[in-house]
Amino acid sequence: MTVPDYVRHEHHEFIDASRQALDDGTLQSILGRLGDTLGARNREAWEDFEQSDQVRERARAIKDATLAELDKHLETLEASVLARGGQVHWAADGEAACQAVLGVLQTHEARMVVKSKSMTSEEIHLNKALEQAGVEVVETDFGEYIIQVAGHRPSHIVGPALHMSSQDVTEVLNQVSEEPLSNDRIELAAFARRQLRSRFAAADVGITGVNFAVAETGSIVLISNEGNARLTTSLPRVHIAIMGIEKVIPALADLPFFLKVLARAATGQKLSIYTSIVQGKRTPGELDGAEEFHLVILDNGRSQILQSPLRESLFCIRCGACLNACPVYRNVGGHAYGGVYAGPIGAVLTPLYNGLEDHHHLPHASSLCGACQAACPVKIQIPDMLVKLREQLHTSNVATGRIETLAYRGWAIMLRRPRIYRWVTWVISRTLGRVKRRSGWLRRLPGQLAGWTQHRDFPAPAPQRFRDWWKEQDL
Amino acid sequence: MNRDEFLANVRRAAEIGRAYRVHTTEISDQAGYVGTDQDLCVKMADEVNAVGGVATVVEDQQAALERLGEILTKYRPKSALCWQHDLLERLGLTRFLEEHGVQYSQHESWSSWPTETCRETWLEADIGITSTDIAIAETGSLMVASGPGHERVVSLLPPVHVAIVGRHQIVPDLFDAVSWLREQGVDNLASNVTLISGPSKTGDIELQLTTGVHGPGHWYVILIRQADA
Repeated sequence: MTVPDYVRHEHHEFIDASRQALDDGTLQSILGRLGDTLGARNREAWEDFEQSDQVRERARAIKDATLAELDKHLETLEASVLARGGQVHWAADGEAACQAVLGVLQTHEARMVVKSKSMTSEEIHLNKALEQAGVEVVETDFGEYIIQVAGHRPSHIVGPALHMSSQDVTEVLNQVSEEPLSNDRIELAAFARRQLRSRFAAADVGITGVNFAVAETGSIVLISNEGNARLTTSLPRVHIAIMGIEKVIPALADLPFFLKVLARAATGQKLSIYTSIVQGKRTPGELDGAEEFHLVILDNGRSQILQSPLRESLFCIRCGACLNACPVYRNVGGHAYGGVYAGPIGAVLTPLYNGLEDHHHLPHASSLCGACQAACPVKIQIPDMLVKLREQLHTSNVATGRIETLAYRGWAIMLRRPRIYRWVTWVISRTLGRVKRRSGWLRRLPGQLAGWTQHRDFPAPAPQRFRDWWKEQDL
Repeated sequence: MNRDEFLANVRRAAEIGRAYRVHTTEISDQAGYVGTDQDLCVKMADEVNAVGGVATVVEDQQAALERLGEILTKYRPKSALCWQHDLLERLGLTRFLEEHGVQYSQHESWSSWPTETCRETWLEADIGITSTDIAIAETGSLMVASGPGHERVVSLLPPVHVAIVGRHQIVPDLFDAVSWLREQGVDNLASNVTLISGPSKTGDIELQLTTGVHGPGHWYVILIRQADA
């Protein structure tokens, strides 16, 4: 299996990577099925769940109200975690978070950690930091494990190895298997189970993300279908959980509103197989569960977003529904986007976290059709946010070259002066309009406009102006 | 940046951010309550089967043991991990396992064993037998709270998990289960409360569901109509 560079590296041009993705037959056949599988299950789940709209609205309202007093809820969370004997680490950025984790590992002289899937840890490049410090990191989510062995980046929020065929997976796992494996899914899964069981048994520390953190109880809610999050929190002696500040919800009573929509949005399930509500370390008399609990609370640019018009992007509960619904994602896949988060929400988050200028293609990687918003369990107005980002791009002059700026200026002059407008449209209809009268299409536009006609034709101007046609009508 | 600076920064941001609050409408606390009009045992069994488990509704304890016997015959486990739970004790579970030649162990012995012995036993066990704290009919879920005698590994490590549940433990909806949890009191919550809603699954290869990656791939729920007698 040959792998293009953009599958492994985060920084690349969206347009260029998309072109490669569109030429990748395996990827196209997998993505082609996405709309009929995960996408369809999500739509059915909303239909079958009578009050889904109200629950989504309520979940949205909880997020909105929580963010309005985020500092208070974080303080409550801290107090609850401390009361149950846990420790809290505040990390302003990714580096501070990695340092906090490393600090805990050093205290325990940990040589190996098991991890359950966490997008936040991807965001801060935790694995790299740990490996540089000589710690072995084992991803235990089956998909994450596959891409870790392969050296790929995750291509989907809930299915990180979505871009690979079962044949690709066999090839990858054969690199670490002593016996050759067949293409059989069940055999591959059984192999991963055996491999990872020994790692769980031997690991000193388990690292997880956080789906929700409940302030009043100090609970960390972890959701998985495989059970690896349960193993990660049950077997190793130390549990470290990493969360972005936006993951907190005030009370246990808020939780059902999110649980009732998260799995339905992600996979069409009523609930994922395992939802664990973890209250820190084990209590006296217990024989399993971590003996020590650490919570790393990460900002990493989130407080900047919190005070911006794009604040709503912090509502995201990382279900992946917008990816499955998006016609762009379903054609180019996750890697093309660059950054850590793909799809429509990635097109919002990546420019916010990693800089708009470096990712100026992303806000345009959408037809603004609104499928993402319709799929979203907390109804994030993603198209609105993409438009806001485009607006910022326009004023920052990054994506618009000099010629484009001049062209828009000319357009503005023309629209403000009816006489010039009349003259220009007359000239165009008499020239281009008449020449292209028969086909009605322009196959190629000149200069900077050529991008438009690269994959489609441009409608030719009419041979007669509307105002002239109107005059001829006998009205 | 220390804690106080971190929080001060968040406070400033939250205040400015209030200008961008979204419009939401008032929604009732019960919105999304599904529940069921059906018999709780029947609904629970339907949902367990729907998520890939195998549920059986039986009348009494004797019938429950017979059903468990069938499962033992199918998998022929050498060793079992068990919860220590009133309902299982009333059934005479441990004696039943002995009669079937299954080696079992539970909290009572584990608490006196060295950690390493415990771990080996846990990792090698063929079957795990639990009851539950609450069962949720709407979703076919078990809500199991950890504690001495209710070890989390029992429903997690062995390839087969059997849960024996009394009708009195079933509630209609997730909301009811969370209410039960809240009634325990914030300070008395078990260190781990897990909702189990099916056998372990993954969709990581080409979106095709494969069972039993990490947790038990075989999930049985035996529902007893009259278990509180």
